[in-house]
Amino acid sequence: MDEILGEFIAETLETLEALSGEVVAWEANPADQSRLDAFFRFFHTVKGSCGFLNLPRFERLAHHAEDVLAAVRRGERQADPATVSAVLAVMDRIGALARALGDNATAPESPSPEADDDALLDTLLTSAGASLADETPHDHPANGRAGERAPRTIRLPLTLVDQLMNGMSDMVLARNDLGRRMREHAMDSDLESSFERLSANVAEMRDMISKTRMQRVDRLYASLPRMVRDLARELGKQATLELDGGEVEMDREMIEMVLDPLTHIVRNALDHGIEPPAQRRAAGKPDAGALHVVARQSGNQIVIEVRDDGAGLDCAALVEKAIATGLVTPVEAASMSDADKPNLIFHAGLSTATQVTSVSGRGVGMDVVRTNIEQIGGVISITSAPGCGTTIAMRVPLTLTIIPGLIVHGGGHVFAMPRSNVVELLHLTSAMVSIENVGGARIATIRGERHAFIDLEDVLQLDREKNTDEPRTLMVIRSPAGQPYVLGAQAVTSHEELVIRPASPVITASGAFAGMTLPDDGQPMLLLDAVGLAQIARLPLRDAGWHRPTPQAEVAPEPTIQALMFRERDGAHRLIPLTVVDRVEDLAAGQIAPCGTGAFARIEDRLVPALNAAPPVGAGLKSLRLHAGDEQLCYLVDDVLDIVDVPLALDAGLASGRLAGLVMVDDNPFEMLDPFALFAEARAQGALPGPAGPIRCLIPDAEDVWMRTILAPLLVQAGHEVCFGPPDPEDAAADLILCSEADADDMVQASAETIPVITLRPDALAPAGTSDTVYRYDRDRIFAAIAQVGQARISAQPGARSVA
Amino acid sequence: MNQSLFLFATIADAPIAVRASEVEAVVRLGGVVPVPLAPAHVRGLAALRSRVLTVIDMEARIFGKGGLDESASLAIVADIAAHSYGFLVDSVSDICLAPAGVQPVHGRIDPAWAPFVSGLVDYEGRSHLLVTLADFTAGAGALAA
Repeated sequence: MDEILGEFIAETLETLEALSGEVVAWEANPADQSRLDAFFRFFHTVKGSCGFLNLPRFERLAHHAEDVLAAVRRGERQADPATVSAVLAVMDRIGALARALGDNATAPESPSPEADDDALLDTLLTSAGASLADETPHDHPANGRAGERAPRTIRLPLTLVDQLMNGMSDMVLARNDLGRRMREHAMDSDLESSFERLSANVAEMRDMISKTRMQRVDRLYASLPRMVRDLARELGKQATLELDGGEVEMDREMIEMVLDPLTHIVRNALDHGIEPPAQRRAAGKPDAGALHVVARQSGNQIVIEVRDDGAGLDCAALVEKAIATGLVTPVEAASMSDADKPNLIFHAGLSTATQVTSVSGRGVGMDVVRTNIEQIGGVISITSAPGCGTTIAMRVPLTLTIIPGLIVHGGGHVFAMPRSNVVELLHLTSAMVSIENVGGARIATIRGERHAFIDLEDVLQLDREKNTDEPRTLMVIRSPAGQPYVLGAQAVTSHEELVIRPASPVITASGAFAGMTLPDDGQPMLLLDAVGLAQIARLPLRDAGWHRPTPQAEVAPEPTIQALMFRERDGAHRLIPLTVVDRVEDLAAGQIAPCGTGAFARIEDRLVPALNAAPPVGAGLKSLRLHAGDEQLCYLVDDVLDIVDVPLALDAGLASGRLAGLVMVDDNPFEMLDPFALFAEARAQGALPGPAGPIRCLIPDAEDVWMRTILAPLLVQAGHEVCFGPPDPEDAAADLILCSEADADDMVQASAETIPVITLRPDALAPAGTSDTVYRYDRDRIFAAIAQVGQARISAQPGARSVA
Repeated sequence: MNQSLFLFATIADAPIAVRASEVEAVVRLGGVVPVPLAPAHVRGLAALRSRVLTVIDMEARIFGKGGLDESASLAIVADIAAHSYGFLVDSVSDICLAPAGVQPVHGRIDPAWAPFVSGLVDYEGRSHLLVTLADFTAGAGALAA
């Protein structure tokens, strides 16, 4: 702030000095409109500057003076001598205060107490005609002394500074030329030493003149406090703004370029980052959000960071939106790292703002910010932690005009390439590089990473240099807007700091050149445009920031699944997809109930079909309880070994029996079980309860021996429940009634037709007219009927059977 | 600047006149660095002290091809739209006042010249074609040629 304050003081005093000549003329002719305007402007400027410099005393004085002059301009008030002298007294007071401020900027103590201001203003507003002659001399002695010590600055037109820079460059060129000529001739050591001295002076001068273009970052910060305050008020939020690193210096042109992006980022942080106070309280944060803007120099870059402690970015929403707009495919999105996701915000049309506010959230913005930053050779990045806040960092070069560049030779020409675009330099003969020609496209594979490969001479339509044995040089180019590509050139020699200047439109029209430069040897050189070259060569420019595979992951990982590795009872190691394994249980031998060719495991009073249960069933068996929705089965194994990641696609599909195929785990083949086949086998065993789980079967005639001793155990074994006794329509405890022909009619009535009834007949052949009965040894039909009930129950409302 | 002050030169054996207000200097250029992919009339870049000039071959611009031979190095230096240009000419005869000012073009002139000539200026009893340097900086096709 000191610099701005200093400038304000200097400017104010300067204007006062300029106006002092007018004062007399205005007193002589108070009606003179042009003079009035000049004074009005002065007060207006002072008022405006004081606003953000937090100088309320200045502001108050200037504000009232401005009001009075406005009234005069509107003709509501006469510019009588009393008014004129009151206005002049206020001017003097501002001058005195400014000098005092410049004298002691840290502790602004005024030569006259603040109470005096009131008297001045009273006079001004009432314009009572009282003479203020006593007032002014009081201030003057202080002025004389303080004026000498006020910070001394002058303002220069930028063109003059540019001319100075150009003149300096001329001088450097002349020095270099002189140096060359001196080396050609015999060296006189005296001459050499004075040339050295001149040379050192020239270098020093160049540095100093470069500094005239530099400005403190404070300038960038000047408008932020006011903006944050106003915006917070508008949004009903609270925020504190902390500004650090204002003393860092940047090229003034660069400051202009960064101003808009910075403003935008701060607005965004306030609008989307910082939560409303209530929400912050709920999250255990202080009511006021903290915004922190830090600038620092890092090498030849300036890093400007904007941090907030707000809600952070909603990465999930961002990814969803990116998929919805087709920016990424779901597969790409799944493979994006958490660090990459927030960077999606820099793409056009993506904004997580659910609502467009007057401030931001129109879906334009962050992409424009990125473009602006990249245009000046900068980089922007974002990190975000949900609930903790977001940090956006802009890295921009120190100056627009001097960039580190590589000197590139090709086709007899010499070009410059911005160093920041070049990721890597390699020789074509390097073992790490292989070039292939596929369908006209050339591809350079460098350490397993494939890049499009173009030659500089081809793009620029130049002839290659012949008669050279030197291996060509490859540059891996990373351009801000496209995929990295490889550019081949005859040679890449030195690395220089280049002063870049714009090239004329006829030259840039081709798109290949971004500017030009005049190195110290005096031969103009064109600056290559990395993006433009790729465009001329028609390389795909799809933005692919996160498609760039890391060298370690040069083969895209195949989708994998987790599989459980276990030891079969015969000792073989096999795998089964972990997703179908519900749990692993220890089973006692007594829990296994063999049943014909199949078997059941009795678990929690339920019989679950068991596979692999062939005797002898020793102790210490483990059972994999497999589930598929509402079907379950137990797969008996010797032991469970490990959980491994295996490719989703089997290495050898040989679906046969229970096996789905072979997969390779650490170079060993393992058989993978096929859950489909397992469940089919269990079902074929006829042993799985219906999909709806156990059916409550009611056998009304408990005295029927066949029903009791033959049918009921069958149903129980199949996993159903059986109860006996007459049906009770009020308590619909049963899902199904099984009865003999004799009871059928009663049962249908008793169940009020809400419960299905299966009538069993003793004879295999149905007597005429009773076709809706089931032969009691037709096991399939009985179970089919039960299954039907289960299906019906599933489709009914769940609440309808909740009585049980 | 006096509106009737002109620079008189020749290109393609034709006498031309350029308003002196457009001209900054006339220099003999050093090496010209060619610019790939640029239109034929852009000869390249040349350094003039710390400035870099875009060197325009006016003859090539007018006739679309050909132009001055490689050795041509005399150029009119002008700043146009914040860029510095050098316009190659065969020779420069003088800068002086043409009291009669600009005359309308009499007779039919070569169609190649037509888009560039805005009038005639009399100097030492000869008519000179008045051209505007800025017309030559645009890419071919920008003007109806």
